[in-house]
Amino acid sequence: MGRRRRAEQERAGAAGALPDAIAALSRTLPAGPSPETFRRAKFDRPEAAPPLWRMLFLALSPLPGDCAPAPRAPPAPPALGKPRPPRAPPTASPAPAGSRAPQPWPCPLAAGASGSCGPAPEAQVRLVKRALRSQGYPRRALAQLPEDGARGSRELLLALAWLLARGPLLERLLGRTRVRLGDEVALCQGEAPASPGPPAACGGADGPVDIRHLQWLMGKLRLQWRNLMTSQQEQCALLGKIHSYTRGCHSDRSLGHLSVAETEMLRDPEGGRQLLRRLESENARLEAALAWRRRELVFWQWMDTVLGACPLEAAQPPFLPRIPESGADQLEMVAQQLQALHEELQGAVEPRRAAWEARVGGSGSEWSALQRATQEAVGQELAALRRAWEEGGAPAQPHGPCRLVKSDARASGGPGLRAAEVIGALRSREACLEAVLRQLQSQCRQELAQLAAALPGLIWILPPGH
Amino acid sequence: CCPRAARAGESRALGGGAGAGVAGRAVGRAAARRGAAGELSRRCAPPRLVAELRDALDACAERQRRLERSLRACRRLLRPWYADPETTRAGRPGRRPLAALLFPCRLRAGAAGVPGGSLGLAASLLALPRLSCLRREAAELPAAEPTPAPETQEEAPSPACTPSPQDLKELELLTQTLEKAVRVRKSVSKAAERHKALSLKSGSTAASAPSRVSGQAGRRASETKPLRCIHQTGVPAEGLPECRLLSAGDRTCKGKGARATKPGPGLRDQLPLAAPPAPEVFTLKEKGVLLKLPTAYRKAASQNSRLWTQLSSTQTSDSVDAATNAKTQFLQKMKMASGWPGSGLSAAEVEAEVGLLWKACSLLRQRMEEELLADCADWVQEYHCLLTLEGLQAITGQCLHRLQELRAEMVGQQLGPWPEERCPRASGSCEGRTDPTWSSQLLLYSSTAELQTLAALRLRVAMLEQQIHLEKVLMAELLPLVSTPEAQGPPPLALCRAVHSLLCEGGERFLTILRDEPAS
Repeated sequence: MGRRRRAEQERAGAAGALPDAIAALSRTLPAGPSPETFRRAKFDRPEAAPPLWRMLFLALSPLPGDCAPAPRAPPAPPALGKPRPPRAPPTASPAPAGSRAPQPWPCPLAAGASGSCGPAPEAQVRLVKRALRSQGYPRRALAQLPEDGARGSRELLLALAWLLARGPLLERLLGRTRVRLGDEVALCQGEAPASPGPPAACGGADGPVDIRHLQWLMGKLRLQWRNLMTSQQEQCALLGKIHSYTRGCHSDRSLGHLSVAETEMLRDPEGGRQLLRRLESENARLEAALAWRRRELVFWQWMDTVLGACPLEAAQPPFLPRIPESGADQLEMVAQQLQALHEELQGAVEPRRAAWEARVGGSGSEWSALQRATQEAVGQELAALRRAWEEGGAPAQPHGPCRLVKSDARASGGPGLRAAEVIGALRSREACLEAVLRQLQSQCRQELAQLAAALPGLIWILPPGH
Repeated sequence: CCPRAARAGESRALGGGAGAGVAGRAVGRAAARRGAAGELSRRCAPPRLVAELRDALDACAERQRRLERSLRACRRLLRPWYADPETTRAGRPGRRPLAALLFPCRLRAGAAGVPGGSLGLAASLLALPRLSCLRREAAELPAAEPTPAPETQEEAPSPACTPSPQDLKELELLTQTLEKAVRVRKSVSKAAERHKALSLKSGSTAASAPSRVSGQAGRRASETKPLRCIHQTGVPAEGLPECRLLSAGDRTCKGKGARATKPGPGLRDQLPLAAPPAPEVFTLKEKGVLLKLPTAYRKAASQNSRLWTQLSSTQTSDSVDAATNAKTQFLQKMKMASGWPGSGLSAAEVEAEVGLLWKACSLLRQRMEEELLADCADWVQEYHCLLTLEGLQAITGQCLHRLQELRAEMVGQQLGPWPEERCPRASGSCEGRTDPTWSSQLLLYSSTAELQTLAALRLRVAMLEQQIHLEKVLMAELLPLVSTPEAQGPPPLALCRAVHSLLCEGGERFLTILRDEPAS
């Protein structure tokens, strides 16, 4: 009797834990669907599909740019690196009050969409499918869902669970919309503006373009960079001033001075209140994320049942995701480069090997020890070289935004990076990149020189400096 | 072709970005005028390049926009702020008091921290900035430490919202304090050789201020004027009407409509000793050190950082391990339920591998060049060199092999029912790798120059990365244009020149092609 009651109690406890877990999950996710939606999705109810599509769309779309800025009275806190996107207009989704739904996909896709909800449902569906495919989502059923977003809630639930299982999705999402309180410098490489917005129409709609247009664009790009540099210098000067004027004001001793966001908050109380609200809502989401972590085991057990409830997919011929065209091009380029390198190496090795063999005919015993030592040394060097690219460069390199703090030259105690070190690292990276660029350019020069040789009767005068 | 070559020389002389672009266009226009010759130059470039360049331009513009927003905010903070004191007079519960507007919640200098619209607080408010100004400017002369400091600090402002006789007394005390401070300051500034300019200004203003202070019946003005005079904001403290005009003008300029609900004149009459009706001028430079963050914010911020550290800490406990196992099992089941063959790679993974191979290629090449340039003094070194080159060759072969595998995977696929469009570059390489809690990392800098160097280097690195990417794309698209044997003969020279400049000089310089006329 006691055992049964204990078992019942356990079941009851477990039953209580699941709603808690789902509730925590829904509080953490941006535009998180209600727990009821989750339950309906298990049974593949159609009404659960739209909120799930929307949630996945927000989770999978890249960090939105500021295409359609919605300038509200309080400005966004400035940053040297990545700032927050401007506050989005209120959406229809049941987001917790004060949390910002990131500005949806910029203008081109928003054409024809309902104003406040961002892009049309079809566009959302397409993006979700694309993003999941590119990450390697294994199930075909998702691809077969209709584009009006009316069905497929169970499949979407599985997709969400798949994303959650693969990586730190919640942490990443929270980090994306994190409230930046300090003046930040993003030290990471390959920063966000690399691919802003939807892919440019590379369908060649305008037909072939004059090469002079390309030259003009390059010139314009160079000018823009120069403007950027000067603006950046000015901003650094202003930041330095603000930091030194607010010395000693911060409650946190390790920071010592206020940041622009904090000073702005003091200047503009309305903006300060908004910042506070956002901070508090982020705290709520963080707490929900921690609660989720404590209880997620129950969720995974439940997801197993959901997966079990799905009809088994018929054994189909294996399909692999189609690599987008740009990937194929990159592949070809690398292949060409590597091939060229291989041939050059071959050209360098063969004569040397021949010369060596000629010089050291037989293997004298006094050489063999030396040879072995050299082989080992070379092996180690090459292994180090391999590691250099396989591990993605210097692992100690900090990346991600860091908060700027002005402090007098202190001893190396205390946390935080020193600007001098970062400058050193950046300089070496700069040198490395310059070397790569020069090498690429010299390759081009050689190829074009070959071409020039093929055209008789012309004199090619290279510009000075080479 | 010679005229064009001469123009190319010209364009080289112009140099620079604008020069090249403009010259290019000038050449083009000239070419257009020349009709037949123009056709040769107008060889078409693939539109994909335009798209890439436009992407690069957009990225740059995006950075610029962000920077400008940032700059605007910084500039605004460094200008004098204006706070509207009347919104706080009545001490309504929903409103922030004057003190909170300027110096939220509490003043640092230890003045009684009652956030109320009380006059006393305002009085000590006014006194304190004086002290800090004095302190800062008379740093070299310790004798100038103003004695009124302890007096005003001990002044406990009454919590009442409406002025009381006590407030009047305080105000009188404050006025005396200010007079004294002004006198001290006058002597300080006269004594300081280095602060000549300062002394000129303050001497004149100090001279006028005490007379005004003593002669004023209306306290209202007396508070405003010395304060305004000694503020070196360059606002001439002439007549009260002017002050008020200025303030009214500023207020309208500021346009803080939401807050500017002025209480009616009746309220004003009730508070004859209200703090100066003119809005307080606050400059970060002078009073920045007095700022203090509100308590609510501090609590929220510390909780925020605490939660983030908790979230990012990777504790290994039983529950965490169990959850990880459950996740792995779930992923396995998903794979099996969909009939997935096994080790298919997603597009993102292929892209990542290709990126690594690019890196490998450049590193290998760099190493090869080092070895080829090195002089081998003796046989040992020669052997070393030989082995290294052979090793590099082997590694390159392995990379090529890996590429073949990747290519085979791409080629031997079925087109699934997936949508065909190009996927936006998956969530940025940085996002994927970045630990979100890096934001709590501090970066300490010691001087503005250092910060500027840091920022400039960062931009330069970003620019170089973009240039390298563009270079690769350009190479892939433009080299075939000029290398492939054309049915119509050799490629037009203008095209060759343009391609050379774009690829080898980054579009900055042009080479010159001269036709070598046979001497006959």
